[in-house]
Amino acid sequence: MQTVRRPLNLVPRYSAWSLLRARFARGPFWRPLWAGRKLQDAYDVVVVGAGGHGLATAYHLARDHGIKRVAVLERRLVGYGNVGRNTTIVRSNYLLPENHYFYEDSLRRWEQLSRELNYNVMYSARGVLDLATSDDDMSSLARRGNAMRLAGIDAELLNQAAIARFAPELHPERNRRLPLIGGLVQRRGGTVRHDAVAWGYARAATALGVDIIEDCEVTGVRTSAGAATGVETTRGYVRADRIVFAVAGHTGAIGRMLGLKLPIETHLLQAMVSEPIKPLVSTVLVYVYNHGEVYITQSDRGGLVMGGFLDGFPSYTREGQWYRLEDVVKTAVELLPQIGGVRILRHWAGTNDMTMDGSFIIDRIRYDNVFLNGGWCYGGFKAIPASGAACARLVATGTAPDLIRNHGLGRFATGRILDERGGGPFPVRQ
Amino acid sequence: MSRLACPFCGPRELEEFAFHKTCPEPGATGYAAVYERDNRQDVSLEHWQHVRGCRAWLWVRRDPSANVVLEVRLLGQEPGP
Repeated sequence: MQTVRRPLNLVPRYSAWSLLRARFARGPFWRPLWAGRKLQDAYDVVVVGAGGHGLATAYHLARDHGIKRVAVLERRLVGYGNVGRNTTIVRSNYLLPENHYFYEDSLRRWEQLSRELNYNVMYSARGVLDLATSDDDMSSLARRGNAMRLAGIDAELLNQAAIARFAPELHPERNRRLPLIGGLVQRRGGTVRHDAVAWGYARAATALGVDIIEDCEVTGVRTSAGAATGVETTRGYVRADRIVFAVAGHTGAIGRMLGLKLPIETHLLQAMVSEPIKPLVSTVLVYVYNHGEVYITQSDRGGLVMGGFLDGFPSYTREGQWYRLEDVVKTAVELLPQIGGVRILRHWAGTNDMTMDGSFIIDRIRYDNVFLNGGWCYGGFKAIPASGAACARLVATGTAPDLIRNHGLGRFATGRILDERGGGPFPVRQ
Repeated sequence: MSRLACPFCGPRELEEFAFHKTCPEPGATGYAAVYERDNRQDVSLEHWQHVRGCRAWLWVRRDPSANVVLEVRLLGQEPGP
């Protein structure tokens, strides 16, 4: 693992030594992590969107490829979008090789990320447990688990006694309408503190000389002779040799800027958190019951973080529908009756790029020097470290690394789609 | 947005309806019909079905930035371009 280069002029490296120096420093010692950079007229690469993917891409462009002049332009604030709105789960338990190799690369990077960024992202390998209530569920979990094991990824099929040992809060021996008969666990899966990921990458990228400019909306792309030459922003025109769009949720707007229609619909995904309770949920539980789905984790503060399916129709509002919140809560209480009296404190929603096959897109788009990192569906947060590295390599070298070679836009036209669920070209069913 | 007005049944709870897909460009065929979408923020043209009601297929015009239903018609009776 490469170490981060010495900070330029700001962000002291976090260590016992810097704590000690801060204790005896005259005047302020700690500085803002990324603020205060000025927007320049021209850059080698302009990354649009300071979410997880944009910041990670900028970080890897500077660290792995030595690209000096990189800017990240953000319409709102660092981490305002989905990097701060997800349920913080990381895992690589996908069926399709194109997906599980990519997400496994990401999970390996998560394991090292706190050290690499010199920033505690609180990766917690508490395991991800997909539950089964029927023999059919068990066969499909076994199929997925076997596909993972063939790729060298950890997966274990558990029977009822084993899930009782792994997650005693489930009491699977208890009489239920649909019995919990087993599950598939990925023990290295777990959770990561989502905000810390945005802040950690922003700090590390700033230390490498990347300019992060907040409150700067990109409104258009200027082109000349079949190539993009720069972006129009609310703070004026910025020249750029290469442009990367990482604005998942609003990728449709990028399509319109470039005169393209994309295989994406924008849908809402809700999440919610309960009041803090004593430690109860020891892992990440994933459970489908009738038409509801829930995934539950317990945060370090004690809140139960829960999410479920999409709201079910296109929306840019970030306002979740009541019926979905109800579904998620009902399914959670069906799974863990002991949380029936716990109150929901907050709920929120994020806009998701839902692609026609449920898998992401990293590719050139329209021009040779314009790149799209988007279409993340539900898989955006857990993908951040691998996405940043792979996208930076594509932008810097012009060639897509193997991990994302099959994730191009062209797959929809050739029919080589990556449809994890086999649901057909309907984003709402992915 | 918590209700949709079915042309047969009148205003009903949103839970009775299922969104199916957004409409491609009129006249689009092949790849464009299956995959290419506007994904506009100001207006969205969609196919829905009244699945827990009369099961009619509907054409719906909505504002996805405000979650407001602008127009509902039976599928096949949508206004011309």
